[in-house]
Amino acid sequence: MSSKRVRGNPGLRRGLGSQTTDSDEILEDPPAGDWLTFRSDQLLEWIDNAVYNVAEATGMRELVNRVTRPIFNFGQRVSTYPLHLGIMCCAIEMGQASAPDHDIDRLGVVYRSSPRQCDVLIVNGPVCEKLRPKLKTLYEQMPEPKWVIAMGECAISGGPYWDSYSVVAGADTFMPVDVYIPGCPVRPEALMHGFLTLQKKIREKEPGMFLRR
Amino acid sequence: MEIKELIQELSAFKGVSNASMIRDNVVKLDIDKNSSKEFFTKLRDDFGFEHCSLITAIDNQPEFELVYHFTSINKSVTVGSTDMSVMTEVHVFLERDTPTIESISDLWGGANWHEREAFDLMGIYFVGHPDLRRVLLPEGFAGHPLRKDYVYEIHEEEW
Repeated sequence: MSSKRVRGNPGLRRGLGSQTTDSDEILEDPPAGDWLTFRSDQLLEWIDNAVYNVAEATGMRELVNRVTRPIFNFGQRVSTYPLHLGIMCCAIEMGQASAPDHDIDRLGVVYRSSPRQCDVLIVNGPVCEKLRPKLKTLYEQMPEPKWVIAMGECAISGGPYWDSYSVVAGADTFMPVDVYIPGCPVRPEALMHGFLTLQKKIREKEPGMFLRR
Repeated sequence: MEIKELIQELSAFKGVSNASMIRDNVVKLDIDKNSSKEFFTKLRDDFGFEHCSLITAIDNQPEFELVYHFTSINKSVTVGSTDMSVMTEVHVFLERDTPTIESISDLWGGANWHEREAFDLMGIYFVGHPDLRRVLLPEGFAGHPLRKDYVYEIHEEEW
């Protein structure tokens, strides 16, 4: 969808009180003018636009967002579920971080096995050329909002394998990375600090809105 | 059986040279490339080396050197007063222009992936291999990176 496209019902966009004299204008709003091929995602988009326009026109959107933003932001902040993915030796430290000594569960870090249920992707090792498409697929399978933590030297810049023919020089060459944690391997305390940094970043940057537009 | 007798029997074959003893139960020998397949067949059938534990390639410029390790589980040689299982280390020298040799993956099934790895990283072509693909590097990788004359170019891909 291009950004220049006019959003929503033109009848509604004109204002709530205005009368729509031309009835064809309303019929044009579902795209392509063909009601038989009216798909469900088009219906959802139409409803979405209508709700957005009503909420925007009445000022309800700002009110709802102002009330729900701290709640949603809190929910995102304290439940950063990472993907249970171990590449190399930093995965041992990742396991140690969730062991009783450094109980990282109290920060809301619960490992999930499916990328559909995750918010954070921890890249904890060197990314080979053969692993890179798979890791990119995992990243794309995660639902928004999502963050990436590059854990250890190998994920930051390739580490000792930066000149290798088969290792990618850093995870940020092919996906956006939010938090870098240096170390070889990363200590569990450093991983906890990385998650606290991520929480701080979410608190400052992420809107956490109810009506995400 | 003493290991001296085994060395004598092995060095009687065509193409075998420099048969010697590394340890008390390890035989090392060189074999000519053209007569390697029938020697390997005899090594498995007549001498009972039923395990191919290693195939690797060395690039000592300009020629390539292939190293095979064959171990025997049932057969043993007498070392002192005890019996020890015997191992044979076979070296094959290949020219740089034609790094091809006959595949032995029909004799030992475990040689299949060893040969694929040697093809992947060193570019040795095994004639008669059922499935000679890359095993470690992704498909479409250019060149064989463990060769001494391999030049690595950083290729940036657009995502």
